[in-house]
Amino acid sequence: MAPPETSDGKQPAPLFAAEGIDVKFSLIDQTLHAVKQVSFEIAKGETLALVGESGSGKSATARAIMRMHDAERTELNPAARIVLDGEDLAQVDELAMQRVRGRRITMIFQEPMTSLNPLYSIGSQIAEIIRAHDRSVGRKQARERALQLLREVHIPQPEARLDQYPHQLSGGQRQRVMIAIAIANKPSLLIADEPTTALDVTIQAQILALLRELQEKYGMAILLITHDLTVVEKVADRVCVMQYGEIVERGAAKEVFANPQHAYTKHLLASEPRGAAEPLPAEAPELMRGEGMRVRYELKTGSWLKRRRTELMAVDNVDVSLRTGETLGIVGESGSGKTTLGMALIRLLRADRGEVSFAGERLDGLRAKQLLPYRPRLQVVFQDPFSSLNPRMLIRQIVAEGLIVNNMYSSPADLHAKVVKALEEVQLEADVLDRFPHEFSGGQRQRIAIARSIVMEPELILLDEPTSALDLSIQAQIINMLRDLRRKHKLSYIFISHDLKVIQAMCHRVMVMEHGKVVEQGSTDEVLRAPQQEYTQQLVTAAFNILPA
Amino acid sequence: MRPRSNPRELDETMATGPAPAAEEFEIDAVGAGRTSLTYWQLVRWRLRRNKYGLFGMALVVLILIIGLFHAVLTPYNALENHRDRQYYPPQLVHWLYADGEFHLRPFVYGWQEEMDPVTFEFRYIEDPEQRFPVHFFVRGNEWSMFGIEGSRRLFGVDAEAGHYLHLLGTDNLGRDVFSRMLAGTTTTLLMAFTVVMLAAAIGLTVGLCAGYFSGNFDLVMQRITEFMQSFPDLPLYLALLALLPARADSTYVFFAFAGILVLLRWAPFSREIRGMVLAMRGMDYVRAAVAVGAGNRRILFRHIMPNTTSQVIVWVTYNFPEIILLETFLSFLGVGIQQPSISWGLMLNQILDFQTFNAAPWMMAPVGMVVLSVLAFNAFGDSLRDAVDPHGAT
Repeated sequence: MAPPETSDGKQPAPLFAAEGIDVKFSLIDQTLHAVKQVSFEIAKGETLALVGESGSGKSATARAIMRMHDAERTELNPAARIVLDGEDLAQVDELAMQRVRGRRITMIFQEPMTSLNPLYSIGSQIAEIIRAHDRSVGRKQARERALQLLREVHIPQPEARLDQYPHQLSGGQRQRVMIAIAIANKPSLLIADEPTTALDVTIQAQILALLRELQEKYGMAILLITHDLTVVEKVADRVCVMQYGEIVERGAAKEVFANPQHAYTKHLLASEPRGAAEPLPAEAPELMRGEGMRVRYELKTGSWLKRRRTELMAVDNVDVSLRTGETLGIVGESGSGKTTLGMALIRLLRADRGEVSFAGERLDGLRAKQLLPYRPRLQVVFQDPFSSLNPRMLIRQIVAEGLIVNNMYSSPADLHAKVVKALEEVQLEADVLDRFPHEFSGGQRQRIAIARSIVMEPELILLDEPTSALDLSIQAQIINMLRDLRRKHKLSYIFISHDLKVIQAMCHRVMVMEHGKVVEQGSTDEVLRAPQQEYTQQLVTAAFNILPA
Repeated sequence: MRPRSNPRELDETMATGPAPAAEEFEIDAVGAGRTSLTYWQLVRWRLRRNKYGLFGMALVVLILIIGLFHAVLTPYNALENHRDRQYYPPQLVHWLYADGEFHLRPFVYGWQEEMDPVTFEFRYIEDPEQRFPVHFFVRGNEWSMFGIEGSRRLFGVDAEAGHYLHLLGTDNLGRDVFSRMLAGTTTTLLMAFTVVMLAAAIGLTVGLCAGYFSGNFDLVMQRITEFMQSFPDLPLYLALLALLPARADSTYVFFAFAGILVLLRWAPFSREIRGMVLAMRGMDYVRAAVAVGAGNRRILFRHIMPNTTSQVIVWVTYNFPEIILLETFLSFLGVGIQQPSISWGLMLNQILDFQTFNAAPWMMAPVGMVVLSVLAFNAFGDSLRDAVDPHGAT
């Protein structure tokens, strides 16, 4: 989609140019130099991707362009130039900037759940942005235009959606509404800040296709901010790679991907999960078995008098088996029941029906007290490392907890030694012991959560999307570490993920779930190379080839 | 359909070593190189930044000191009466003699009583002949507090020479209003402290258990809290206080009064805690504790309760001034603290009728103390709430 005139040497005056953007945040005891003298330009109809990991300053750059930063704590470079259509936006006053935001430069955000106002209907929120920038448009006209916009972003039944509220829409549809709002005034520049990160893979592909379609139609420039290299590779014309607030490499997307120059870019590209699980010895015994697993939730709808009870089958008649040392991947989009199944297998959740046996012993039907001896053997690592560590406990206490409650140590010195050893296994130094969780980054927290599990030398660990909240390079490190641990301790994993690349790097076998049912299962290689079911094919396409050719 | 477009993904041989140069790029999520503070360091930093809150905190400390050490800080004992000095107005502290000469030691003039020949009202006129110098660390009447006895006071006048010092005048029995006002601080603070602590303890226990165990226990506790909350407060206070024996010992009345306030205060707090616990029960760190095999007691006391700390602190500091006001109000009505205990409300009770008020307006002084302490505790509570808020600005 690159317009030809941008790729050759003599460029026309760019539509948008930013020069010397510099952002400093004042924190409690120091100043954080988040963006250091960043400059770039974007031509009409072009997509520039700003790539980097969390903390690299890419979102701060976008907020500085839009002047949406917290004025009290942020210091901008007064000499910066932000030129749109020949006008320097850095010089205009706040009132003029208001007319720029939402009309000439618009923005879509990562969280479609929170960026729409829950109190207003979809139609009125789109109409508002139209009328806010052009008072001559009547209410009726604005409504018609809103309807037309909903059609343009391909929302099914746009007439009915106009009067619906954000909670009645799915995440992907909300993001479409956000896009409709963003293009309502035909902007020159659209800033998309991680527009697909919160969405399921198949929806991601649709949203990116939609953005490309709209870009071709309106010829707007897009500044795409993302950490997802697959998205960049498929969508962007040019790339700027950011690290520690600086652009370390820039160039045409294809070139950067094919021939990265800077060490950091090389590192990022090498961080894509790769490799496969080492083959399993043929005689590995079965460790866990689940048969006819069923978990049901009862939903109460309707008024108090006419209470209707509907059942949601979160997990519907699923059979699972796992051998010692094996990793089973459970794949599916949000709401497919994959986490519920995992939790039911390790009995953090009670299944309505189904037999679970672990190392030859039946777990279903056991009461909470009777399950206690099995707890150290069946461990879990959660998705969000920010909520899985108690903020009021020291790392020492968090890691030692399992040993203490299960009385798995002989003396305080032994306890200390075991905790230190577990931290070593996750490549953390012993000096973290007396610190609190909030002092650590996401990747370090996830290591601590893993240490909490392995300190008890479990046989099975349920990994519930352990890497999806992490940056790409951290993700690669965690995956390598999990593979090392598996080999060293003969661990078995149940690996829940929506990311097929990670699944491919980790798992021996894969189970694909949709609406609580297993649609396909088999060895990782078979399922990912030659998916039989249409749903699996969609997932695989979306994961490895984000836009259908 | 050929779903795979990127052959390098699948054909890669097993690579289990770390990604190249991985450690070089370990990025801290908060920002490279930023030192982080512990939670309580952050709280202290936020407290220090809020000037209004600091001012409130200083006043709170001052009020606490008064409450603890009023015996030394006052020139007279609170119950000490001077039959010859009823309704004396406040004496002004002077540094200048009548002839304009500066004097380093502050002094007060004695009062000369005079009868207005028309209205037959008593009038008090400063008598330049009676000059009572104010001394510091003077020997006064015996006091005792915390089992320690003494007679040195922070300031006072030479009582043996017939001097007297009433900075805020005297009441109908000739008792020093200033001394009584400071002494009243103790009762009021003790009342507020007892009520808030007991109510917080009960509310916390009930809230934790109801939120954590849910089920029937929660159902019953919720109906009880609703029942407690549906009472009309004031009539109930009055009715319950009327049940107290009329000639009861004042200490007994104090604790019965505190008990009644606690009874009506714990319920809303337990609801607040219950809501928090319900949300926290689903948190991953609680589920992780279940997964490592921790029992109910451990989860409740090690994982959930510590995370309610900020809520408890906030509730306590917000309710402290409320109890002060309530105690003052009920004692003013004559149904709270009883003589011979001293409290601000009880002191105000002495000027219930307009005639007394007109004759001795200085007996309103405890109102100033009430306003000051309520403002101080509110300012302090506000800044404390902002400081302990885990989602607050950094």
